[in-house]
Amino acid sequence: MAGPLLETKLHVPRGRRGLVARPRLSERLSRGAESTLTLVSAPAGFGKTTLLTEWLAGAPAEGRSAAWLSLDRRDNDPALFWSYLVAALQAASAGVGAGALLLLQSSQTPIEAVLATLLNDLSASSDDVVLVLDDYHVIDARDVQDGMAFLLEHLPPQMHLVIASRADPTLPLSRLRGRGELVEIRAADLRFTPDEAAAYLNEVMGLVLTAQDVAALEGRTEGWIAALQLAALSMQGRADIAGFIAGFAGDDRYIIDYLVEEVLQRQPDNVRSFLLKTSILSRLSGPLCDAVTGQDGGKPMLEALDRGNLFLIQLDDRRQWYRYQHLFGDVLRAHLLDEQPDLVHELHLRASNWYERNGERSEAIRHTLAAEDFERAADLVELAIPAMRRSRQEATVRGWLEALPGEVVQVRPVLIVGYAGALLLGGELEGVEARLEDAERWLDTTTGNHVGPEASSAGMVVVDDEEFRALPGTIALYRAALALAGGDVPGTVRHAQRALELSPEGDLRRASASGLLGLAYWTSGDLEEGHRAYADCMAGLRRVGHVADTFGCAIALADIRRRQGRLGDAMHTYEQALQLASEQGGSVLRGTADMYVGISEIHRERNDLPTATQYLLRSQELGEHLGLPQNPYRWRVAMARIREAEGDLGAALDLLNEAERLYVSDFFPNVRPVPAWRARVWVEQGALGEALGWARERGLSVDDDLSYLREFEHITLVRVLLAQPRAERVEGSIDEATQLLDRLLQAAEEGGRTGSVIEILVLQALAHQTQGDLPAALGSLERALTLAEPEGYVRVFADEGAPMAILLRAAARVAPGEQKGIARDDVRRLLAAVDKTEDSPPVSQGLPEDRQGLVEPLSKRELEVLRLLGTDLDGPDIARELVVSLNTVRTHTKNIYAKLGVNNRRAAVRRAEQLDLLSRTRDR
Amino acid sequence: MRTNGPYEIRLKGHLDSRWAGWFDGLTITNENDGTTLIQGSVVDQAALYGLLQKIRDMGLPLVSITQVEPDQPDVPTTDPR
Repeated sequence: MAGPLLETKLHVPRGRRGLVARPRLSERLSRGAESTLTLVSAPAGFGKTTLLTEWLAGAPAEGRSAAWLSLDRRDNDPALFWSYLVAALQAASAGVGAGALLLLQSSQTPIEAVLATLLNDLSASSDDVVLVLDDYHVIDARDVQDGMAFLLEHLPPQMHLVIASRADPTLPLSRLRGRGELVEIRAADLRFTPDEAAAYLNEVMGLVLTAQDVAALEGRTEGWIAALQLAALSMQGRADIAGFIAGFAGDDRYIIDYLVEEVLQRQPDNVRSFLLKTSILSRLSGPLCDAVTGQDGGKPMLEALDRGNLFLIQLDDRRQWYRYQHLFGDVLRAHLLDEQPDLVHELHLRASNWYERNGERSEAIRHTLAAEDFERAADLVELAIPAMRRSRQEATVRGWLEALPGEVVQVRPVLIVGYAGALLLGGELEGVEARLEDAERWLDTTTGNHVGPEASSAGMVVVDDEEFRALPGTIALYRAALALAGGDVPGTVRHAQRALELSPEGDLRRASASGLLGLAYWTSGDLEEGHRAYADCMAGLRRVGHVADTFGCAIALADIRRRQGRLGDAMHTYEQALQLASEQGGSVLRGTADMYVGISEIHRERNDLPTATQYLLRSQELGEHLGLPQNPYRWRVAMARIREAEGDLGAALDLLNEAERLYVSDFFPNVRPVPAWRARVWVEQGALGEALGWARERGLSVDDDLSYLREFEHITLVRVLLAQPRAERVEGSIDEATQLLDRLLQAAEEGGRTGSVIEILVLQALAHQTQGDLPAALGSLERALTLAEPEGYVRVFADEGAPMAILLRAAARVAPGEQKGIARDDVRRLLAAVDKTEDSPPVSQGLPEDRQGLVEPLSKRELEVLRLLGTDLDGPDIARELVVSLNTVRTHTKNIYAKLGVNNRRAAVRRAEQLDLLSRTRDR
Repeated sequence: MRTNGPYEIRLKGHLDSRWAGWFDGLTITNENDGTTLIQGSVVDQAALYGLLQKIRDMGLPLVSITQVEPDQPDVPTTDPR
């Protein structure tokens, strides 16, 4: 993107000699520099650029840095517009926008993310910057306008925007006006007053006019500066000024046309010819003009025209590039079109050839299209596509392809596929497959190598060999993306694998194919393959330098490792990704926020809640623009689980509800849906009605076929079943739950999903406990502990509360060596965690070790409930008696049964009498 | 090809015949009151706005723009007798 074009767009025009001082306008501009936006809105030729140039020359004195961007039609491509805008700002305030440029290179970053990063840089900068956007009226692309509106809304106080346009731009002007943040300079302000006109004509242009003359001119032109300039030029050196003025004032003709003709008539033939021929150019340089006119002497001609004040504007400091003042150029073109219409196409072609030879392909294409030489334009577009794809200028490519006639594109498979890609990237899936098939038809006619740039016998045209050879791989890749978008996982795998076979090493398409493959494998539960493919994708992206996109891969890689029970590896993945990004230098990259959330979740599982919370706060501080699309929802789930661990179930539910609202799929498989998380909190609260409702809604049953995608939901279903109190349980449903657990265990083990295996074993242990089978419970627990200990899992045990504490104590009592694999230290550590979670401290009345004769003594509250269990009162009555909710009673009852080692009310009362627990409570 | 219009666009100031090529396909008439009438059909609304932009860029003040009904066959207004 560097080079002469960039330089001319950013060049702050130099002040012209010979100008009328306009202090009233300069003052207004200086005042405007205190507000958000200054709008200079007036038709062409009203002196906007000149005024701003003059004013900017004084900017350093006022302590401001000036940035300038001259816009043209091509800047409607957001990739170009924002890159140029950042480049312009960097010229004024070094170091600003480095991060924004990086984000622009990342795929499909929403523009708000880029702008937020840029705005942060600007806010942090100590420079006071004025940015002028000249010729803003050429911008009509909706997304660019939206981005500008966002920028204006969040502009920091040190930055001021000036927009020069021929029409009021589509921006929230009335809002800015209402808030006093808009300063306007309009046509009425810009017109020369009679005094200013007099000063210009007599003092600056050296004419000697009477007051009447000036009045006549001023009246006819109405202060239109361009017209006065042309008139002055016409009058210089003219003998009969009075005659000219009379004729001019009495004429109805379009002023500019009249005056330009006057000026043209007085030029020597060679000058006139030069002016007309070069009028087709948007920028002029000596060599370019020579190529177009077919003659020498372009450079001295331009310098002469500039000296003669003939509406040439310098575009750089080296007198290399100029442009015509717009009105003047337009009139010249109209003359050319009228006098030599047949020459126009030829001139455009000469310009195109020069640009092509000098490495400016986009300009070459523009001129070729203007010349309507569509074959040649198509050739150039084909050659331009790879570079355009790398710099993400899809909008530009699409514009070109749509400007070409259908029959030209149809015989060029590279262009057909290019268009399919542009549609795909724009989210328009409709026409993509049809075009891929069109392209394939050409590929089928040329088995093996094709025949170079000449058309093959089938009429096909190929100009870029390399792109052509890569077409089968590109087509496969696009088909994989289509399959993914359509939810066809096997199809995605098939096409992505084919794309891998067909794409060369070190090509971005290869990395993209790996990414799609990873996603497809993961979705179908093949975790190890998925991990491998994602790792390939990440390596491929690094090789090509697309660091900003590697975070998406890191999330997938870490998620997979966590499913596989490898917390340490997952943590390493997050840390490595952050390390890689920081090596880029400059600002923070999008996706950093997601890494912090992942790290937080691992700390949470390892029961370091303060650190887990800290990481979530750090993630939040980064701001939404530094998170990938799923981050808002993931953050809230992570926070909900921390709150859950702290015992604040209400807060957890609120967060989960928010998470549900914010959920977006971003193509990742929804393996742990929010409603399932919510159901788990309900279970903990004892809100079993809601939890059962969820299971019903999701159509979950113990007889379902198992699949990776529903594993989490099925495990949640088991929790719901196990939580049902004895009295309400359907006969044998515990058995159903344990059967489902067995099946889930087998599936998880087969799939290598150790993370799930641990949780299933924990539930199995609890289920056995409920059935009163302590040895079996300890057996499952031992297996879970063996798997969990190396990775530091804590909460998967601690979250189960009192029943788990009982089992852990029992496990601790086993003599070392008798049951291998459970170190007493680990169990004690887990117990400490569980005890902290328990909010009802055990009653301590100085009883001997086996207090109450129980492994785990009952709390005061539980004893109260137990006493009432010994009466005829039913659940609701007990609740009323104790002035608590029915759910609370159920929770206490569940814990009582666990502690007493029973599973029904009668048995509980019997055991309580055996242990003489009921008599004690009567002494309250 | 569906057309929009025909439209009549009135500008302040006269245009030389040289501009016929610039406004390709449209009729330019210089009226006695110092205005110019540009008449003709455009392909669609986008083309119309493109035309208006051309006029804007010349700095010619826009006086009016009207859509004209296509010519109707004469309808007798008196009873046939």
